[in-house]
Amino acid sequence: MKKALPYIIFVLLLCWHAVLYAQDRFPRPEFESGYVYPTNQMPTQRAPVWEYFDVAVLISALIVSTWLALKKRSRQGLIWMSVFSLAYFGFYRQGCICSVGSVQNVALALFNDGYTIPLSALLFFIIPLLFALAYGRVFCAGVCPLGAIQELTGFMPVKLPKTVEIILASVPFIYLTLAVLFASTNSQFIICRYDPFVGIFRLDATYTMIIFGVLLLLAGIFVNRPYCRYLCPYGVLLNVFSRFAGKHLTITPAECTNCRLCEEACPYDAIIPSDTDQNREEPEKSRKRFILYFLLIPLFAITGAYILYYLAPALSGVNGDVRLAREIRMEKETEIESVSKAMVAFKESGKTEIELFAEEEIIISRFKKASPWAGAFLGISFGIGMISLTIRSKRSEYKPHQGRCFSCGRCFKYCPIKVQTQNEA
Amino acid sequence: MKLKLNEKDISILKVVSQVAGGFILVVALTMIFSLVQLKTINPLDNPVLLSVKDQYDKDPANAAKAEQVRAMDLMARKAYFSSRWQVETGSYLLLAGAIIFIFCQRLISDNEKLNPVLPCAKKDSSFQQKRNRRYLIATASVISLTAIVASFVLRNDLPDPPGQSGTSANVEAKGKETAPKPDKTNFPFFRGQDSRGIAGGSGYPTEWDGIAGKNIEWKIEIPKQGQSSPVIWGDKIFITGAKDKECEVYCINKKTGDILWIGSASNIPGEPTVLPKVDQDAGLAASTVATNGKEVCAVFANGNLICFNMDGKKKWAKNIGVPENSYGYSSSLVIYENLLLVQYDSEKKISLIGFDIETGDQKWETIRQGHTVWSSPVLAYFDGKPQLIINGNPKVSSYDPSTGKELWAVDCMSGDVAPSIAVNSTMAYAVTDYAKLAAIKPGTGASIIWEDNTYTPDVSSPVANDEFLFISTGNGDVACYNPEKGDTLWTHYFMDQFYASPIIADDMVYLLDRSGVMHIVKAKSEFQLVAESSLGESTDCTPAFSDKKIYIRGKKNLYCISKN
Repeated sequence: MKKALPYIIFVLLLCWHAVLYAQDRFPRPEFESGYVYPTNQMPTQRAPVWEYFDVAVLISALIVSTWLALKKRSRQGLIWMSVFSLAYFGFYRQGCICSVGSVQNVALALFNDGYTIPLSALLFFIIPLLFALAYGRVFCAGVCPLGAIQELTGFMPVKLPKTVEIILASVPFIYLTLAVLFASTNSQFIICRYDPFVGIFRLDATYTMIIFGVLLLLAGIFVNRPYCRYLCPYGVLLNVFSRFAGKHLTITPAECTNCRLCEEACPYDAIIPSDTDQNREEPEKSRKRFILYFLLIPLFAITGAYILYYLAPALSGVNGDVRLAREIRMEKETEIESVSKAMVAFKESGKTEIELFAEEEIIISRFKKASPWAGAFLGISFGIGMISLTIRSKRSEYKPHQGRCFSCGRCFKYCPIKVQTQNEA
Repeated sequence: MKLKLNEKDISILKVVSQVAGGFILVVALTMIFSLVQLKTINPLDNPVLLSVKDQYDKDPANAAKAEQVRAMDLMARKAYFSSRWQVETGSYLLLAGAIIFIFCQRLISDNEKLNPVLPCAKKDSSFQQKRNRRYLIATASVISLTAIVASFVLRNDLPDPPGQSGTSANVEAKGKETAPKPDKTNFPFFRGQDSRGIAGGSGYPTEWDGIAGKNIEWKIEIPKQGQSSPVIWGDKIFITGAKDKECEVYCINKKTGDILWIGSASNIPGEPTVLPKVDQDAGLAASTVATNGKEVCAVFANGNLICFNMDGKKKWAKNIGVPENSYGYSSSLVIYENLLLVQYDSEKKISLIGFDIETGDQKWETIRQGHTVWSSPVLAYFDGKPQLIINGNPKVSSYDPSTGKELWAVDCMSGDVAPSIAVNSTMAYAVTDYAKLAAIKPGTGASIIWEDNTYTPDVSSPVANDEFLFISTGNGDVACYNPEKGDTLWTHYFMDQFYASPIIADDMVYLLDRSGVMHIVKAKSEFQLVAESSLGESTDCTPAFSDKKIYIRGKKNLYCISKN
């Protein structure tokens, strides 16, 4: 109970979300003096130059994180980097602009001629990926505000069973697929809408989102970085790019002695052990399995495409216009007047139902066109996943898994070689 | 960079952390209390304030009471905003407390002594891979299965579009219907199969001369005149004629031109005693009959609607009321399944009526909105759904041919609308003179994809397939459009007016002008004249095509034209 007390307090401190309960809950006073209420002021737009300043901060933070993770090998430094990123990209910039959400801007720009992606959003999308390609997931290590808030609150790491790890690891692929599908059909930016921490950064969010964020942070105390591991759609891309990183963080600063002290160090299960002392499967058997999964990839892609094509009408319900059109139909069928805000706004807009239904048709047809591609992506990802679980390279030392490793440096202190080197120094 | 802390420092940090935790607790509880206040209490609902207001309402002249109301109102509002301020300030205090708390906890946890546990024996990585593959397959299977189930469950939850209740269920039950291919023998309605203007079969003649008798297999005089076009089923041609009050349906042997039977369509109960005023050119028999191989049905401008069997035996007849309008009645009939569909256009009422073809009982009537028109209904199939489309004024509208329910409508026509709709597999094309040509994407929320007003016929209907759209106008212009984009592919001026509707047959377009000259052009993207053949008799009727022969009704005679 004593140990749990800090976390109970932690729950309470997150109850601040409802502070900006700003709305006219009761009528304004009527003045007989002729006082005229000032018109509502909208905050002015941020000057474009500050967007480039954000990009400069991002690049600088990435460089520092890379240096801390690869060269300096400082876990503490990365923690301070996380504090900075949380303060700047999280609380100061209020979680926007963010590389995780920029996936949607890119998807929208790729499939909609009418949308021009801001250069800063494009750079926020590309730059962390380039760094991942060169140095691994240093963005996750200390630059991403979402990762930072979880890193700072992950006090008591525990490992999840492998079964749960594998099942949950498929979620980011689905989330990424849906996010791109919804953004490309100009329907919704779900990554931003369901960002669990943005409410905390902005000190304002809906109840459900704040509860989701709180639960995620609470879970993150034990199951560290739950969002990064089991939800983050941008993490899927970073994972892929990082696998090809030219230079990646290492557990040991010198040659690994296979002491196995780091074997259980990583809460993210991102350390792959050496296997020189293990029996290997017959190469013929492995090769046959590889060929089988390789040949099955088109089948997986077609199956995925087929399933998502049939799911397209249901998925199109994410779009506000489609939902509104369905609400109107429901209203007509049940003859119960809908009083939702969307319906009220629609009735006041002067737009006709025919126009709305026409838009609905167009949106559904766009979903039908795009969904099979999304399904094919999932099918191919599954096929590649199966192949990656077939290939075995010979490993003579303990190394971080380049895709899964967040470059957080938790494993540094477990390596006796480093300890010895420091003592000598 | 790392802060090295000793036992004493850690103890201090723990105290700081506990103080921060206690502070957070107090602030959080205060905030929760303030929040409850904010969300549940309306300051203006204060009973004391309401009571004072009530007193003031009863005595509005009481200045002291007014001042009291103002003071209390101000106090209540101040209390509310004070709670707001508490919560807002509290949030920042909470954030500060949280930062201190987390910072201390981090330092404590980072300085905890490392106690690495040497794991037990290494796990077999081959076994792990195998297990992981199984888990991945199981996960993918469960996700796929969930998606499949969701696609069915959520699809079932989707309501029907407005006006389509029941329709989708019908289509579901029947499966998706597709447009029947034009038959090489039967030409059952005005402009053939489904009234779409496309003839089946091939090998139709291109050259003839009505006066010299070249390629004229037979020619007969129709007993009574009319503007209705011939329709064909098997070896029988059906056509109508009228003189004064006498309205008749003729069945003619397709091979010989002999009249097999004449069915009288007069003296039907309800028939007007005085002839309705109709345009002299149109007459009483302007509407073309419809047949399904078992029945042949005809309608006349006096409102007489009659149905015969194929041997000329009257099955039923009724008068549906004189369709009063400025030119007379000219809408032709269409049969869909067991329903005879009548487009009824009168100054008193415009509607679409479905009659049981066996009994003549009216099954339904759908009142249409707008003004009278002289077009005819066309059957089309979009997305597997059969629909009856009417070129109306101002709306081009589509109806479920089984129930008469409106499926969609587009407001785009005006003036005197006589041309019927042209359809292909994806679009409907509406046109009339002094208005425009509109390409309509059908379906719920139908919309105009493109439009043009360069070539607009006044009587002749357009015809379309998936490659081309042809228009023949009352000025003698013929235009070929790209049906998808609306680009004009070619135009040609033919000197004489077109009233008859063009028919696409055997990759050619047959364009019959009012002087009786058939202009035959290739149905392709460049203008290519194949032949021009004269009937030697003026005509406004649309020809019928069957078994390599063309049947044309002139002012007086019916011609059978064949290659031999």
